[in-house]
Amino acid sequence: MSATPTSPAATNGAVIEFDRVFFSLNGRPLLEELTLSVREGETLVLLGRSGSGKTTTLKLINGLLMPVEGEVRVSGRSTKTWDAIRLRRSIGYVIQDGGLFPHFTVERNIALVPRIEGWGHQRIGARVRELLVLVGLDVELASRYPSELSGGQRQRVGVARALAADPPILILDEAFSALDPITRSEMQKEFRALQQRMRKAVVFVTHDLREALLLADRIALMEEGREVVNLPVTEFRVSQHPLVRAYREAFAGPEEAR
Amino acid sequence: MKARIHSTKPLQYRIALTYCTLFCMSLLLPITGCASHRSAIVIGSKNFTEQLILGELFAQIIETHTHLPVERRFYLAGTFICHQAILAGRIDIYPEYTGTSLTTVLKQPPGGNKQEVYERVRDSYEKEFNLALGPPLGFNDTFAIEIRGDDARRLHLLTLSQAAAYTPQWRAGFGYEFMERPDGYKGLATSYGLRFAEPPRIMDLGLLSRALVQRQVDLIAGDNTDGLISALDLFVLEDNHHYFPPYEAVAVMRQEMLTTHPEVKQAMDVLAGKISDDDMRRMNYAVDGQHCDPVTVVHEFLAAHSLL
Amino acid sequence: MDFLHFISTNRQQVIELTMEHITLAGVSTLIASLVGIPLGIVITRIPSLSKAIIGSANVIQTIPSLALFGFLIPAPWIGERAERLAILALALYGLLPLIRNTYAGIKGVDPEVVEAGRAMGLTDRQLLFQVELPLASGVIVAGVRIAAVLSIGLATIAAAIGAGGLGEFIFRGLAMVNNQVILAGAIPAAVLALAADFLLGLLERRLTSLRSRS
Repeated sequence: MSATPTSPAATNGAVIEFDRVFFSLNGRPLLEELTLSVREGETLVLLGRSGSGKTTTLKLINGLLMPVEGEVRVSGRSTKTWDAIRLRRSIGYVIQDGGLFPHFTVERNIALVPRIEGWGHQRIGARVRELLVLVGLDVELASRYPSELSGGQRQRVGVARALAADPPILILDEAFSALDPITRSEMQKEFRALQQRMRKAVVFVTHDLREALLLADRIALMEEGREVVNLPVTEFRVSQHPLVRAYREAFAGPEEAR
Repeated sequence: MKARIHSTKPLQYRIALTYCTLFCMSLLLPITGCASHRSAIVIGSKNFTEQLILGELFAQIIETHTHLPVERRFYLAGTFICHQAILAGRIDIYPEYTGTSLTTVLKQPPGGNKQEVYERVRDSYEKEFNLALGPPLGFNDTFAIEIRGDDARRLHLLTLSQAAAYTPQWRAGFGYEFMERPDGYKGLATSYGLRFAEPPRIMDLGLLSRALVQRQVDLIAGDNTDGLISALDLFVLEDNHHYFPPYEAVAVMRQEMLTTHPEVKQAMDVLAGKISDDDMRRMNYAVDGQHCDPVTVVHEFLAAHSLL
Repeated sequence: MDFLHFISTNRQQVIELTMEHITLAGVSTLIASLVGIPLGIVITRIPSLSKAIIGSANVIQTIPSLALFGFLIPAPWIGERAERLAILALALYGLLPLIRNTYAGIKGVDPEVVEAGRAMGLTDRQLLFQVELPLASGVIVAGVRIAAVLSIGLATIAAAIGAGGLGEFIFRGLAMVNNQVILAGAIPAAVLALAADFLLGLLERRLTSLRSRS
């Protein structure tokens, strides 16, 4: 018995849908006319500058924020009709530097959602072991505290924690941005491998073009709260849209500049 | 190499838990009844000379007649504190005055003769507080309204009613408690029609006699058994209206203690009626005027009256 | 020192009064914690109440302790026994540090951690008990420490209304004009305060170091 949502996906197979969503805070518009969708097994990368509305978009998915106009649907149901707790427990959430609880061991951190969902003792133990292996960590680390781990290890624990209850949706907010380049590259490759095995609906936020190109099935480029471009990764790579080109030039290396 | 996933509560949690448990346990210690371990009889007293003497009297009587260990806790700061202490079982016996019990502890209006007041206090104490009253010790430490000896002789004054006529020409001096007590100044002034030109001066009890002698005041409220009355040639006006309730000195005792140690009651009964007003004045004077040690003064008294 | 001689010859009394003192301060600190910590939690949830609650605790703090003891004497049941009265008054004085520290402790928890917890689907109660309170525990225990030391000091005044404790030595010593007796009350009270401060300080440090690794 996992924490998957009970309603079936919408007719077009979209697990997450944004339908002309408008969001503002204290009078300032943060998102305008946002329309996108993510299918089961698909990885959508939200790419854009700071302040372009990427994090706000993620918070609208797991109900931390509610749209002012328009509708956000998860598994076909508006987030306004979902029970907030059930919604969040069926979405895995990974943030920069893990957001781990400093007073919990690695094991307790990973086991968080299974525990509050009432899984049995044995089952939790097996799952934690399984996940540690899956994210490439030594099983001995289970009894350590987050402060005793390196940045990369913490991030892996964060991913393991998000996957613990086997949610159908994963959202990641700049998950690898605080890591050194080598660790970051490792994490990206491992995550890609993980995605291909698990087939979850994934929304990944980053401001790094290379990361986006590596991990995405689709890329949505955001600017000032609007979605400017939404293309499959192969098309995005060669798009001549001015903003896309600007991005490519910013990350210019001999292979990417065109 | 299978690691232990289900880690037991780590060390720090256990240490924190230990501290909390120790803390809570230490709170329960006092409740486990330290008072009941006490085998000594604890005697309290208020903080003026006569009380110290009476407290010492009780202590020595119990020590010699029962051979029980006795602890002295004198200089407690007043009626309320002594009452609270005996209710809580912190002391077992202390000297009190029937009039004070009536008005200050039981909060009843003053009135009645010696016998009535004694019985009322004894019955109420037994019923409400489970405290027993010993027999009257024999003297009445009532308020003494005093004037200078030469004024009394010159004006031929014996009673308060006679003195009332002269009050417009006099200044009065009283202690703070006398001003505030229900059986104090206000009622006295009404009963005798005292009309002083100015409001009474309020000062520390110990300074009243001196102020009277030095003519700073002309009339004070002191204690009937004050040792310095004759030494300073002061005259006590008779309370012919019987305004003041009787203040017979008695021992207030915890009934529980008496049940456990009935021999204490027998020892205390020895003192019934044995101390006259004069006896008390003489003992007070020995300590206040001659600066003798209360322990010696009490011992000599008991020996002289073959009470040991 | 002479007062040591007094203490050794009156050992039974000293122990008895010390135990009374610990009871007065201990029970009142416990009551202050049981009331103050939940109140502190309430004002983190309902900020509109914070002014009223902290305001009241502040007002109580400004009342001179002896006066507060005196006010409570005519109260039914409470005023009949000096120990009850003293414990109530001391508990009232302990409220402010506990309410304030609980509030500050919870507010001081890393908001990212709290948001991560909420995002994962922890209910408000789970967040409170599994995340916020454990991480705030060091600051909360600091509040208990402050309240305890305050109580131990104020309990000496409680003897003035007959509640017993080490203050009795102090007041008796004043009436007797006897320094030995005064010190026999003052020094053990100071030692108690230092001990409470030290032990609770240890606990506070342990809890803080445990929580602040992130």
